Amino acid sequence: MARRGVITGAGAVSPLGRTSHEFYRRLLAGETAIRPMTAEERGDLQATEIARYDGFTPQPEIPAMKARRFDRGSQFAILACSQAVAEAKYDIAADPEAIGIALGTGSAGAGALTEFLRVLLRESPEAAPPFHFPNTVANAPASQVSIELKLFGPNVTITQKDPSALNALLFSALALSSGRARAMLAGGVDEWNAVYAMGFDRVGALRGEKRRSGIVQGEGAFAVLLETEEGAHTRGATPLAHLTGTAMAGVPSEPYRFAPDRTAIERTVRGALRDAGVEPAEIHLWFPSRNGVLEMDEAEAEVMGAVFGSGSPRAISVKDAVGEMAASGAGQIVAACRALADQDGPFPAGAATRRALVNSFGAGGNFLAAVFESA
Amino acid sequence: MAKQRRVVVTGMGAVTSVGANIAEFWTNLLSGVCGIRPVTLFDASAYRTQTAGEVTEIPDSFLTSAEKRRMSRADRMGLAAATEAVEQSGLDLEAEDPTRVGVILGGGTSGLLDSEAFFERTLAGRPARPSRVLNHLPDAITDRVAQRFGLEGIKSTITTACSSSANAMGYAYDVIAAGLADVVLTGGSDVLARLTYGGFNSLRSVDPGPCRPFDRERRGLSIGEAAGILVFEEEGRARKRGAPILAEFLGYGVTSDAYHMTAPDPSGAAGARTIRAALAFAEVNAEDVDYVNAHGTATAQNDSAETAAIKVGLGERAREIPVSSIKSMIGHCLCASGAIEAVATVLTIQRGQVPPTIHYENPDPACDLDYVPNEAREHRVDVALSNSFAFGGNSSVVVFRRANGRSIP
Repeated sequence: MARRGVITGAGAVSPLGRTSHEFYRRLLAGETAIRPMTAEERGDLQATEIARYDGFTPQPEIPAMKARRFDRGSQFAILACSQAVAEAKYDIAADPEAIGIALGTGSAGAGALTEFLRVLLRESPEAAPPFHFPNTVANAPASQVSIELKLFGPNVTITQKDPSALNALLFSALALSSGRARAMLAGGVDEWNAVYAMGFDRVGALRGEKRRSGIVQGEGAFAVLLETEEGAHTRGATPLAHLTGTAMAGVPSEPYRFAPDRTAIERTVRGALRDAGVEPAEIHLWFPSRNGVLEMDEAEAEVMGAVFGSGSPRAISVKDAVGEMAASGAGQIVAACRALADQDGPFPAGAATRRALVNSFGAGGNFLAAVFESA
Repeated sequence: MAKQRRVVVTGMGAVTSVGANIAEFWTNLLSGVCGIRPVTLFDASAYRTQTAGEVTEIPDSFLTSAEKRRMSRADRMGLAAATEAVEQSGLDLEAEDPTRVGVILGGGTSGLLDSEAFFERTLAGRPARPSRVLNHLPDAITDRVAQRFGLEGIKSTITTACSSSANAMGYAYDVIAAGLADVVLTGGSDVLARLTYGGFNSLRSVDPGPCRPFDRERRGLSIGEAAGILVFEEEGRARKRGAPILAEFLGYGVTSDAYHMTAPDPSGAAGARTIRAALAFAEVNAEDVDYVNAHGTATAQNDSAETAAIKVGLGERAREIPVSSIKSMIGHCLCASGAIEAVATVLTIQRGQVPPTIHYENPDPACDLDYVPNEAREHRVDVALSNSFAFGGNSSVVVFRRANGRSIP
């Protein structure tokens, strides 16, 4: 078995729960955070649904005075990453250079960006609020986490469509294998933004009144603490799951067009299984990429049928529960780790070794998959 | 660790305010030509400053007019630089296994300039054409480059503000070293936008005239725009196919300052950690370093903090080697700065000439290294560092080394 790292902690700040346990429990129970948009959210969009984190507050963890310094995405990320560190009982201060962070995002900075541009473009450049500018960068959440938790190790943010978080997981695994870090917080973060929603609606990405096919947008942050096997063992950490395989494929495509390329999907899925050194029959659980973009969902189902035949693993759809965003891939990772670690999971009794496949495919021809195995 | 698979640079392309190709860019850098001029891309009269390192020519004649209409300025600049880089590498991408060739770029505001009209109208509650809104999402150029060359390997866009494209090169290195790809087109393309122009103005960190890195009278940065693309290739196969080996990418250091969202650690301790991480990974000693291509933004804080970081990171060696900032000529190209400065660093190794820091008049006691003032210098460089620091404390230092190989014309 290939071992790319061990997950020792998980965190979730989502409309389906404010901890990874709550998120996973409600996910398994079949709950969904997708709800009709309010009139104000909807404006003149054709989209009708959304999965926002209503009533989110960063308290009690972040005091109100301090929370004002962080935008919404940074608040999500700080809480989710802190949970992962706490569950892992990881002592950052013991060697801050050994631990870093990699987050995927599609929207971080959007709130600050639109606020800054609102004043700059509608009033005057002189009136533009300097307070917002530093938070317009997509790396604001990961960097605020690094400042809050005092991480001195690698720190990147990745934006590559829906699979951004799996890309961040891959970066993290390479940071461990190359010796650049001994532990990485890997995950994703997104905040819903009305102007971005309008753009995505206009280009036909959202499903709603006029479109049967498309995503429902969500928001939140999910993160895991990924460590080297040796590091976790030395400090006596309790593993949740092992990351055993990753694979990716690209398809030449217009950036925002969907490329439901069965060859690329199959290459990704089989590549992840091969990297993990397992046969399809050895996968018990599947976290599909399925997000409501019908042509992509059909292609995924078809390829899974071809690869797994009648022994298709049980599917748990994260995006039916929290919507689609770059952070949803991290939600799939967190759910997979909880499923493999927790006793009340969906497995048949007596299964000795349990494995989960996470698929994450996006527009523009971007495909990633990962395999996790129980500890 | 043992490095089984080494990574070399086999091609480069550049589109900048001082040259729309590698040859012109390099000639003008060595001549100390300043590309920082009055902005023409948008009306800058209401801003505190009116100059920038604006690109005046994009060699994109290979695109049809329909393609150009679909693409952002950042797409066109990035594709132009990628085309030059691929040509120089001699790669026949149609003959390659497309699944082994990836694209990893740094992105940020990217094509935002084109999207600002959408924002302007939408924020005013007026109907806006949506086709432009997604131009600024930073991963668009990465998909475009893969689309243009028919590539099916990994695609990724690093968005760590001003260190984006430096980290992209690092990730490209990781991916090749780990055997996940054989060739990666890496670097970045970032263009002027009112957001960044207004943003740095609102922070009062822009010099009204061309920026003056390391000068006592420096008053801030000049914004610039550029595309810089490098072809990273696994060394064994590059040598086998007789590719030009421009330099070896020895590795990189990537760290968090964990200090402040916008201010550098004035002691230099944070930046020195990045330099040391880079040296350790690349397995080179401070005494081996012959040149530092500085981040050198010309803000009061950066230049003194970076000077301190170089002194802490390299020790005595810091006082023996040239350190220069090409931002004095092309401005701060934000998410493309790490890439275009890496291109200049590789050229420095190749040609044995160090580009100058221009507009340097007044020594600053807090900036007391050899900044190669105003005149290029002959100097053999075997190992060079290029520094990139960013909002959020996302610091990155890349290490290049001379590689024995065929030179480029």
